[in-house]
Amino acid sequence: MKIPRGDLIRSRVVDDPGTTLATALDRRLTGYAVFEPQDAVLLGDETRGVLTFEAGVPTLAYCTDTDRGGADALNDLAGPGPYSVDLYELDDADLAETHEADDLRVPPGLPAERLAANRDLVTRTREAAPDERLGDGDGDTVAAFLADEAGIEAIREQAREEARARAEEWGLTDALDD
Amino acid sequence: MVEAFAVASGKGGTGKTTSTLALGMALAEDHDVTVVDADTGMANLLFHTGLDDAPVTLHDLLIDGAAVAVDDAVYERFGMKVVPCGTELAAFRAADPERLRDVVAELAAGTDVLLLDSPAALGSKSAVLPVVLADRTVIVLQPTIPALSDGLKVQEYARSYGTETAGTLFNRVRDEDGIERVAEQAERYFGGETLGVIPESDAARAARTAGEPLLAHAPDAPASRAFREAAKRLDVRDGASESGDVADRFRSAVVPEEV
Repeated sequence: MKIPRGDLIRSRVVDDPGTTLATALDRRLTGYAVFEPQDAVLLGDETRGVLTFEAGVPTLAYCTDTDRGGADALNDLAGPGPYSVDLYELDDADLAETHEADDLRVPPGLPAERLAANRDLVTRTREAAPDERLGDGDGDTVAAFLADEAGIEAIREQAREEARARAEEWGLTDALDD
Repeated sequence: MVEAFAVASGKGGTGKTTSTLALGMALAEDHDVTVVDADTGMANLLFHTGLDDAPVTLHDLLIDGAAVAVDDAVYERFGMKVVPCGTELAAFRAADPERLRDVVAELAAGTDVLLLDSPAALGSKSAVLPVVLADRTVIVLQPTIPALSDGLKVQEYARSYGTETAGTLFNRVRDEDGIERVAEQAERYFGGETLGVIPESDAARAARTAGEPLLAHAPDAPASRAFREAAKRLDVRDGASESGDVADRFRSAVVPEEV
């Protein structure tokens, strides 16, 4: 994803990415945010996620570490936080070309849903989104998540491995069910 | 007879404490119920039960060498036995999570249904112990991706310790959530059945402010009715027949002696 460098308008560490999404929405910001999860245990040091906005509404998502875009990028970024976030402003024209990348698109409400679990913010974002952005199954994001059996199995598998690793750490291996 | 349920969710804000107390009050119509605030790092059950000033709490029982009997932390409230936990950070730090096992064992010996209000986290031993100790879990979900994702993680952690899912509760559900489809899909991944779908409720907030469980504060609210229906679907199983066995069961549930 190629984006011209914008004007930095905010740089801070947030526990809840929803804060940043709400700021972008309230300002009707056109530009982008760079999210850097601070949880270095689970992710590499270089993980960054970029989310672009058109008039405050999330448009594209991209994760540098996994080189994945769209909903996958949000999954890669989602975590307990905190996040270091830089928010940049751009002119509409600067993002026009970038926003042609359909494979990186996200439904307007998905970042608030996936990163912040903030349903009021999801609703507010959807209300602010132009009609043509709402046709891409945004209301069914939870259903789509549950329909992805491989994705669900990956979550479960990771949790199983984590549970066993931590049981060892905490001296609970004897309690594990073999 | 006892069955111990961990009422768990991977994520905060799902209404776990409200759910624990609602299930507890509903089950108390037919069973002797004990509710324990096992969320020792972020206790809030005391606020839901008007026990803000409880002189003895679970924290006191978890501190090594404290001269407090388990019974001292048990309060008869709303037809249940309630064991609140304190909110002081110093007490949490001084508490030995291992002792929860003995406390649970002793409480289990004197009750039918033990509900452990469990932490909305999996990152520490004290957070995981309730699902280790419990016979089964009730997983509180919301129809959001993070809540479902974290619910799946809790389920896997619990299963790693042989603790199966008794069922799920979808809490704080709104009309626009399309819950029928979500619940149907979720059932493929979660153990047990969907025990209930509880509508988002202002009454739950008001109950918390009033220091009462939802079922005491607003027994006729739609959410309260839904919780009672959910409790009916929860099949409480007979545990060990003799109280001595019950205690042993929990004492041997975790054997992580320091090496």
